[in-house]
Amino acid sequence: MTTASASPSTNSWSAFRTWLTQPLVMGAMVIGYVALSILILISLDRTSLWYPAANICAFPLFVLSPIIVLLSPLPARLKLTIMLALIVVVTPIIGLTNTTYLELAIQISIFAGLALGLNIVVGFAGLLDLGYIAFFAVGAYLWAMFTSPAPTIFQINGWLVPDWAFFIFLIIGVVLAGIVGIMLGLPVLRLRGDYLAIVTLGFGEMIKIIARNADQPANLTNGAQGLHGIGRPPLPGFAVDFTNGLSGLFSIPLSNPETVARQLMFYFLGIGILFIVILVARRLEDSAIGRAWTAIREDETAAIAMGVPLVRMKLMAFASGASFAGAIGVLFAAKQTFIDPKSFELMQSITILAMVIVGGIGGIRGVLLGAIVVTLLDLHILKNLSLQLNALRNVNFVIPIIDYPIRNWPSQLEPSKYQPFVFGLILVIMMIFRPAGLLPEPRRKMELMEARGEDSGDDDDTDMPAPAAPKRQPAPSGD
Amino acid sequence: MTSQTLTPPGAAGYTVSKGLLPALRATWVYRFVLFPIGQILVFIAAAAVVMTILSYILAFFVPEPRANIVLADQIAKQLPGMIISGISIGFVYSMVALGYTLVYGVLKFINFAHSEIFMIGSVAGFEVMTRISASGAIGAWNPVILILVIVVTAMLISGLVAVVVERVAYRPLRGAPRLVPLITAIGVSFVLIDSTRGLMAITRNDFNLTYPTNDPALTWLTTPINVVINGASVGGFNIGGTAYTTIIADSAEVSGFEISGTPISEYYYGGVTIGGRDLRANQIEVNGARPDEILIAGQNLRDIQRAANVVNVRVTSMIIVISAVLMLLALNYFVNGTKMGRGIRAVSQDQSTAGLMGVNVNRMISLTFFIGGAFGGAAGALFGLNVGTVTPYVGFIPGLKAFTAAVLGGIGNVTGALLGGLTLGMVESFLNGILVYFPAFGQRYTDVFAFSVLILILIFRPSGILGERVDEKV
Amino acid sequence: MTALLEVKNLAKSFGGIKAVRDVTIDIQAHSISSIIGPNGAGKTTFFNLLTGIYKPDEGKIIFDGRSLIGLRPDQVNKAGVARTFQTIRLFAGMTVLENVMVGMHSRLTISLPQTLLRTRAFREQEQRVRERASELLRFVGLAGRGDEISRNLPYGDQRRVEIARALASDPKLILLDEPTAGMNPNESDEAMTLFRRVRDELGVTVVLIEHDMRVVMGISEHISVLDYGEKIAEGTPAEIRSNMRVIEAYLGRRAIGTKEGAHGAA
Repeated sequence: MTTASASPSTNSWSAFRTWLTQPLVMGAMVIGYVALSILILISLDRTSLWYPAANICAFPLFVLSPIIVLLSPLPARLKLTIMLALIVVVTPIIGLTNTTYLELAIQISIFAGLALGLNIVVGFAGLLDLGYIAFFAVGAYLWAMFTSPAPTIFQINGWLVPDWAFFIFLIIGVVLAGIVGIMLGLPVLRLRGDYLAIVTLGFGEMIKIIARNADQPANLTNGAQGLHGIGRPPLPGFAVDFTNGLSGLFSIPLSNPETVARQLMFYFLGIGILFIVILVARRLEDSAIGRAWTAIREDETAAIAMGVPLVRMKLMAFASGASFAGAIGVLFAAKQTFIDPKSFELMQSITILAMVIVGGIGGIRGVLLGAIVVTLLDLHILKNLSLQLNALRNVNFVIPIIDYPIRNWPSQLEPSKYQPFVFGLILVIMMIFRPAGLLPEPRRKMELMEARGEDSGDDDDTDMPAPAAPKRQPAPSGD
Repeated sequence: MTSQTLTPPGAAGYTVSKGLLPALRATWVYRFVLFPIGQILVFIAAAAVVMTILSYILAFFVPEPRANIVLADQIAKQLPGMIISGISIGFVYSMVALGYTLVYGVLKFINFAHSEIFMIGSVAGFEVMTRISASGAIGAWNPVILILVIVVTAMLISGLVAVVVERVAYRPLRGAPRLVPLITAIGVSFVLIDSTRGLMAITRNDFNLTYPTNDPALTWLTTPINVVINGASVGGFNIGGTAYTTIIADSAEVSGFEISGTPISEYYYGGVTIGGRDLRANQIEVNGARPDEILIAGQNLRDIQRAANVVNVRVTSMIIVISAVLMLLALNYFVNGTKMGRGIRAVSQDQSTAGLMGVNVNRMISLTFFIGGAFGGAAGALFGLNVGTVTPYVGFIPGLKAFTAAVLGGIGNVTGALLGGLTLGMVESFLNGILVYFPAFGQRYTDVFAFSVLILILIFRPSGILGERVDEKV
Repeated sequence: MTALLEVKNLAKSFGGIKAVRDVTIDIQAHSISSIIGPNGAGKTTFFNLLTGIYKPDEGKIIFDGRSLIGLRPDQVNKAGVARTFQTIRLFAGMTVLENVMVGMHSRLTISLPQTLLRTRAFREQEQRVRERASELLRFVGLAGRGDEISRNLPYGDQRRVEIARALASDPKLILLDEPTAGMNPNESDEAMTLFRRVRDELGVTVVLIEHDMRVVMGISEHISVLDYGEKIAEGTPAEIRSNMRVIEAYLGRRAIGTKEGAHGAA
């Protein structure tokens, strides 16, 4: 960075850097960052004209703090404590002050789970699945069909289940989605990578068409009208007490404690499932199964010649990923209480794929980061940009210097309507400039650094979206 | 993968001495006109015959799928309509499939964004036609020139977009693992959809784009050509004060009139719908009355439908067929009869060797994208003209089906794209015509059917009908 | 002596090209044999047929008393036939040790629940796999290099990793496809020593495809010669050296030039 400067300044610079990397200083900086982000977040003035813009910056800063803690060179025990505190204590409190934050946190946990599931298929095994949302839909429809009061054959025949069955259905969701994964995978997993992508895309569309049309001859899904009033897991009494306690402790007035308590319950359910998903993903990765997947991804022919049963291992990846999506689908249906075929568009599969790619395909930390970034972009940043634009439009704001009245901005060009554009652009830019993601998995990062300047011509028959030509190492802001 | 193109037996690599009329076989006319047209006719005839036989087999096993509906009779009555509609859909699919197949031929890469190139063609065609219509002088245009202007503009725009996409998004990734450009292509696809949507939203404040085919000056375009099968034309009735002369064979389209204020203009490939419901599926009701109860000139609508053995051949269908045949002939000549075509074939055989032999590989790839894009654009504009209303999302389903067609014929194989498209179009048209009588399925699942076809081919014969089986080289 | 591998009338064609026709070869247990022939003679295709990557059109492959016809490559591997590739096909992004560990896949009893629950049996197996892989690396002379990313290794060492990876499945027969291609005389001497040790110390039967006549003649007990997909000769090195048809196939071909392409075997 300061290559050209004189030696004394270089020395002081390196001394500064050494000082910076001391554990105590690092720890103080990380904790300082976390504290600052919380402070900014709770001190936002919601009545301000510029609130949406400030919100765009403030919340992501806070949400990224667990990742920054994770990446910081602190002792493992301390990292774990801070992260636990952030997730279990701080986020719920912030959620109480503003329930949209809680909603976002729930969405992030749901999408992070989905992204990790897809990462098993795409990242670990190198199978591009563009219909991943189908398995999510299987889980969601499973729970919805058995609890919605819509006139389905389940309702008519009195097959509805009580709310506490939710936890059993989480398991059933895992199993059913896994079975559907195997059934879909069995015929198609022999296909080459790009064909597989198109076929899975077709499957995703087929599931949607079936959901839309399976109201005749027997009403299974209630067709395009969707299923409403989906059951939610029973709210334990202590959850309300806990919520009230928190609101009393931090003197945050709550208009409807029960609703908030329910949201908190979903938050913890989401985090709980996410935790299990992370655990499972890590254990799979670090095992003979994970090694076989990597081998398949790198060179199918060599893998099978070394005794790796291709179809079986691919099925395992497909089914594992599908199972995750199934369980999360059950949770999603319960949280939304309404689903229809439009909840499971191709765009959703692409969004999840974007999470995997943005963060760093194959790596668990990277995918978590990707899920956070993309979910925030989708549900927070673009939305608040639109809000800001409208707020400025309402006060007839004129941009100084270029003298442009916001009112002239076409209402059709609202940022929140252009989410596909943004995600499409992200996919293209990431693939061209940073195929290994913002936070590449160490193995691929190493590959990247070694591959620099080398001709990449010899790996053109592997189906792995491996790195092409990286510019430099990732530099997460807290590192 | 072979990249066999529309090679007639007289072309290089074949001996010309054998067979009928060797002298004729060696001529230019034979190689570039007679043979390809013959090939197209054979494909159409084969697909139609097979589908007809299959339909009658179905009718044999299920003679009366619904009360008072004799399937064999219905098939007989609808046959010409289904075949004509199958041919026109088939050519649209073929032209889009060519784009997939040409690019696959040279780059071994599935250009996922090609369906959006098709969409851009349909939007471009709309722009041109709307502008001409807005000028008020559209009636003065010679029909051939009008269609030519619309289609050629769409071709140019789509072709250029395809070239730019290749240059910006795919070229930097050449040689990367296969999935990388595929993911990029998906991204490009969304960018193109939303850019088009934004552009149309700003300039037109709407992105449901209706071709101005109802311009009164365009009667030549909207009046169907009536083919009366056994003289039983129905005429002289009116609905809501508008007089009609001809209506309605079961599979023919109706356009331009209204029933209680709802225009019957939303049709999609022969399925007439009113307010989103399908006329032929008998889902419609007019003011609460079902087709059986709707009386037109003293006859109920159902009876009119049954009695009329009139096949309306839509002018737009004819335009599709004629344009497609001309373009296919031109492509065949270009690929097999010119130096540039030889360059493209060389690149598709072996990129590096072609480069060493002095072929400008990048230029050939750009050219391939341009041609593929132009075909997609032409198909888009013709499709728009036929369907009436297009949106930025219109590309997805036809794109996926065209891809199916390309794979069905054998991806990378130009003749295969033609065969696959015609086959798929014919299958779809027959399904649309016949599934109506099976209320449990209905036409709602025809798209599912197309995907099922794709999956089955990929599993059992991934090389397609005309492709060669290729074992992976180790 | 019974043969470990009996190949009878094996044939395979691609389109109109007969890559392997009517080849009959026996490989004796505990031997080192070579298959030689000019480029495009069908040697690699022959290996691909043995290992299930291609399905033969005709013929029998009996290995250890059991037919290999119709088995998938991974099943062939499990049956006891391991191989290396003409162009190195290591899992380039994995470490050297992991490469060898993947090679043991067919010898593992893995179940998904055990993996997820990290049972004792699972941990013990992982430990065993790791130790065995290190052992094999030591055997091929790469002790202590297990943690390097395999693509970073020099060419000769990558060849060694490939052999260790193939040996990891405890094969009875190992097929080496041009294992010394691109090596200098020193390196190929070392490689020859290694091949002998594979046979002598591990008891694995070795079959090589080789172009380097020094290696072929120096190590083989039995040589089969293929030309245009046909076996034109077989015997001891001395017999092959004096066989007119072999000389013709090699010299005659050279005299004509390098006309034939990469049909069939590459």
